[in-house]
Amino acid sequence: MLSASLFKKYPAFDLDVSFEIPKQSYNVILGPSGAGKSLTLKLIAGFEKADRASIILENREISSLPPEKRHVVYLPQNLGIFPHLTVYENIIYSFKARYVSIDEAYVRVIIEELGLTPLVSRFPSHLSGGELQRVALARALAAKPKLLLLDEPLSSLDFHLKMYLVNFLTKLKQTFHLTVVHVSHDPIEAIKLAENLFILEKGKIKFQGNLEDFFKDPPSGFGKDVMKRLRSIKAVLDRNVW
Amino acid sequence: MRQTIKKLFFSLLVFISIGFILAPILNIFFTLTVKELIKTIHDQEVWHAIFTSFLGASLATMLGCVLGVPLAYILSHYEFKGKHILEAITNLPVVIPHVAVGIALLSFFNERTFLGKFFAYFHITFVDTIYGIVIAMAFVSISFVVSSALIGFKGIDKHLEMVSRSLGASAFYTFWHITFPLALPAIFRGAILAFARGLSEVGALLILAYYPKTAPIIMYERFTEYGLNAAKPIAALVIFFSLLIFFILLYFSKYHAKR
Repeated sequence: MLSASLFKKYPAFDLDVSFEIPKQSYNVILGPSGAGKSLTLKLIAGFEKADRASIILENREISSLPPEKRHVVYLPQNLGIFPHLTVYENIIYSFKARYVSIDEAYVRVIIEELGLTPLVSRFPSHLSGGELQRVALARALAAKPKLLLLDEPLSSLDFHLKMYLVNFLTKLKQTFHLTVVHVSHDPIEAIKLAENLFILEKGKIKFQGNLEDFFKDPPSGFGKDVMKRLRSIKAVLDRNVW
Repeated sequence: MRQTIKKLFFSLLVFISIGFILAPILNIFFTLTVKELIKTIHDQEVWHAIFTSFLGASLATMLGCVLGVPLAYILSHYEFKGKHILEAITNLPVVIPHVAVGIALLSFFNERTFLGKFFAYFHITFVDTIYGIVIAMAFVSISFVVSSALIGFKGIDKHLEMVSRSLGASAFYTFWHITFPLALPAIFRGAILAFARGLSEVGALLILAYYPKTAPIIMYERFTEYGLNAAKPIAALVIFFSLLIFFILLYFSKYHAKR
């Protein structure tokens, strides 16, 4: 379980959030650009210093620990694939970085599960967008994180690839029993993936709960915008033009 | 018609610019007589000078990298007051006339100064020694290392370092396995330029370390004592070896960048 309480003053707003998420759950933080979504993830991962913070991950206070000691893997929007390393070297990076022997059997399972077997010796510059996404996920899984932070990982993809990866993430979460915090501004991603939904606006959480609660009583502001967008999509689908 | 004139104009521009660089270099080789060249090849003093030049430039480049790369890393990764002033200071050696550099180094490192005495205690003196050559070459070339390394470090996506840390790598491990290898092509380019700059140094060496003679010093000496024809074969040899090393280093730099 993750229990986080974070406060940091920024020029545009004060980020002030408190939330709890259960173990092995898929959580989506939804919000407009500049709401503080990425900042929240960076505070949890340890890349930003909070003015006040309490982050308890699986009964351990991690807010004063350096990023490498938190067991939290952060995946940025551009995936952060190491361009000078092969796919395999990227995947086993966490073992080498922690000076532990490579769990070959586990790595093989990940590589096979993510369909990367034919790509292991390639360099990232020779991979497609979808392949890079899978490499980034494989590398994250190999680190056996207690918490996986996904910072808008699907935002730059076309619709087909996005839907493919959304389904893929759902499957991955179940297979590897992951606890995920996924940041997005796309309601479709949120609805497809979220077990718990958070709406973040100007550094404050405007809603937290499951999707049913959200649909029953959406919060004002961005929450209403989300509902409006979803209704318009539903309206198109209801026309049954396909 | 207009397109043709434009093409012709651009071709002429390229021809003049490239010719301006290439023609004097090629001219040295084409106007060289075999007799002069053979005489120079058998001249031990010339070989000694060429060796001293390459040794000095190599050591100066290493010294420049040891001092310049960490400085560039700090300047690219940390925000602090006066950072821009420090960046400007790293460019000073480029703008100071090199004879003035020689005078400044001589007055700072001679054996009557504190630093001169300190090094003399370890039997290292800078006036007319290889150490002086290295110091002078490093001083005039360090800016190239710092500015290239700075570009290299600044060009690295900060997310790569973040991901590395979150995957369990310490800051030190991240530097050696992510940041440094990715900045290496830029550092390498800076080192090539620094090496070339060190190799061509005369002004500061005339003041600080005339001996042991470097190739540019011996060229200058032969020119002033015996004229152009005596200096030309040495110039040809130095240009040949410089270009050889330049292209080898460039090849390795491109090979690394391709990965």
